[in-house]
Amino acid sequence: MYAIAIHGGAGAMPRDRLSPEAQQRLRAGLQSALDAGYAVLERGGSSLDAVTAAVRVLEDDPQFNAGRGAVLTRGGTVELDASIMDGRSLRAGAVASVRHVRNPVELARLVMEHSRHVLLVGSGAEEFALEHGMSLVANEYFRTEERARELAIVRAGSRVSELIPVPGGTVGAVALDRDGNLAAATSTGGMTNKRHGRVGDSPIIGAGTYARNGVCAVSATGHGEAFIRAVAAYHVCLSVEQRGLTLEQAVREVLHERIGALGARGGIIAIDARGNAVLEFTAEGMFRGCRDSRGRNEVALFRDP
Amino acid sequence: MSCGLTFRALRALLACLALASAGASAHASDERRIAIAVHGGAGVIAPAELTPEREASIRAALQAAVDAGYAVLEHGGSSLDAVTAAVRVLEDDPQFNAGRGAVLTHDGAAELDASIMDGHSLRAGAVAGVRHVKNPIELARLVMDKSPHVFLIGSGAEEFALAQGLTLVPNEYFRTPERERQLERAKQSERAGGAKTSATGTVGAVALDRDGNLAAATSTGGMTNKRHGRVGDSPIIGAGTYARNGVCAVSATGHGEYFIRLAVAHDICSLVAYRGLTLREAVREVLHVKLQGLGGDGGVIALDGKGSIVMDFNSPGMFRAARDSSGRREIAIYRDR
Repeated sequence: MYAIAIHGGAGAMPRDRLSPEAQQRLRAGLQSALDAGYAVLERGGSSLDAVTAAVRVLEDDPQFNAGRGAVLTRGGTVELDASIMDGRSLRAGAVASVRHVRNPVELARLVMEHSRHVLLVGSGAEEFALEHGMSLVANEYFRTEERARELAIVRAGSRVSELIPVPGGTVGAVALDRDGNLAAATSTGGMTNKRHGRVGDSPIIGAGTYARNGVCAVSATGHGEAFIRAVAAYHVCLSVEQRGLTLEQAVREVLHERIGALGARGGIIAIDARGNAVLEFTAEGMFRGCRDSRGRNEVALFRDP
Repeated sequence: MSCGLTFRALRALLACLALASAGASAHASDERRIAIAVHGGAGVIAPAELTPEREASIRAALQAAVDAGYAVLEHGGSSLDAVTAAVRVLEDDPQFNAGRGAVLTHDGAAELDASIMDGHSLRAGAVAGVRHVKNPIELARLVMDKSPHVFLIGSGAEEFALAQGLTLVPNEYFRTPERERQLERAKQSERAGGAKTSATGTVGAVALDRDGNLAAATSTGGMTNKRHGRVGDSPIIGAGTYARNGVCAVSATGHGEYFIRLAVAHDICSLVAYRGLTLREAVREVLHVKLQGLGGDGGVIALDGKGSIVMDFNSPGMFRAARDSSGRREIAIYRDR
């Protein structure tokens, strides 16, 4: 049994504001990320490689708020965060506030595998990237016309949900490979118009990302501050491990009770040691997909598919 | 008058005594336990390296920090104010690896991280990679109280500090000759092939106030000779710091990467909340089973909703102190003293 699930963000995204063509493009983007990760698993690759591959596709797709096409800060630049965790060894890597790394999830992976650290931030993370042979890109690489318009709209005082040029959000993936290893990865540009230096839950191990073999792998999206305060991703795993909740119960409790109690919304994708995937959200929609070796293969945008 | 009391005076005295006893009993039933614990880091502190003068000076500093926090609680202040006050004292003391006297990065600069959490509202604030904020714990508190965010880093965190009226200080303020010598030694041992760097001296505090509110705070300069941009567990909510009313408050110190991977502070609280372990059992399981199993070392101070204090570590020692309203007063460095 092997399986993968992905998300491209949860949020307020009324269906009627997304043209059929836009919906089709989003579905296609999700499907190609899902397939990229699934192909790794299918040929016997690791869950770590699978989540890296899937997230990389989503980072490269300007529809989503990660890598190219990420949202812009108050200063009009892009600041990216990402993390990855290996459920087998409990090793983890994360980066925050990088501005010149094409695929932040790959840098997070490098931090995990080639440093003694878990979290590197800012220019220190980019120095590490250079030392490991990554070439940096100009911040303009990430910036799209749509995100520039979105920033202008937000600055003019409208809520993003009222007029969404680009609906896609934070991206993430969770996977179980043939060897029973779980992995999780998350990547984001954060909030539109965010303050320079603001870091949400995506690069925080335990908040936006967590994986532990035999228990579960989790990637979250939503109001990052609430997910940090609730230690959301780790909380899902501990509920499965220590309290005997099913993965679905654990995910629902975190979203509806813990995150809800903080007045926030979002979504979580998770996968357990038997390959059961849960894709749950309290926002209006969550762009998501899952595929497994039992034949499940689905992509969805809203509550009703 | 030789008999001492007129009838009127006697009546007044009786009334006064009655009031006093009523007051005392009201006091006894109303007064909830208050407690605070602080740490100044866990790690390899060989007894031989610690001269009697140095040890006395560290103990005095721990005492000053725990007393500063306790004074807040005793005056009816909040646990948030108490942990902020205690951590501020330790940040200002160059003997500890936080604020002034923090360890130096490979580049010779101080880069500071801190976080704070309010167990009542579950609000939290954290900063990482700041280089010019005298008391990072105060900035973490401002992030919690005055921003919609939890975590701000680097120059963005310092812009926020300025916007909130904090005065920035040059990085030299934090640097001490002793930390410069330490960095030199670490670089020498790195060149000689021994890359292990110590992570001693992180500071933290946990407190319970009269209203039953728990709070936790942690502040650090990280690891000697650390890579620019490296962030450990201290500013990570759930790893180095966590507080939840009725359950527990935790501040951790040690090899930060391991504490992040195990979400140590939150895990201790969840073992108390869900598995019904006592705080002591929960701390023991996380430090001596889970953390040790992964190869990490360090310690935590923790406090539960009833005011029980646990200070434990799997390293040779941890600078620590505790004080509560039942009369407990303790300052210790090694397991037994």
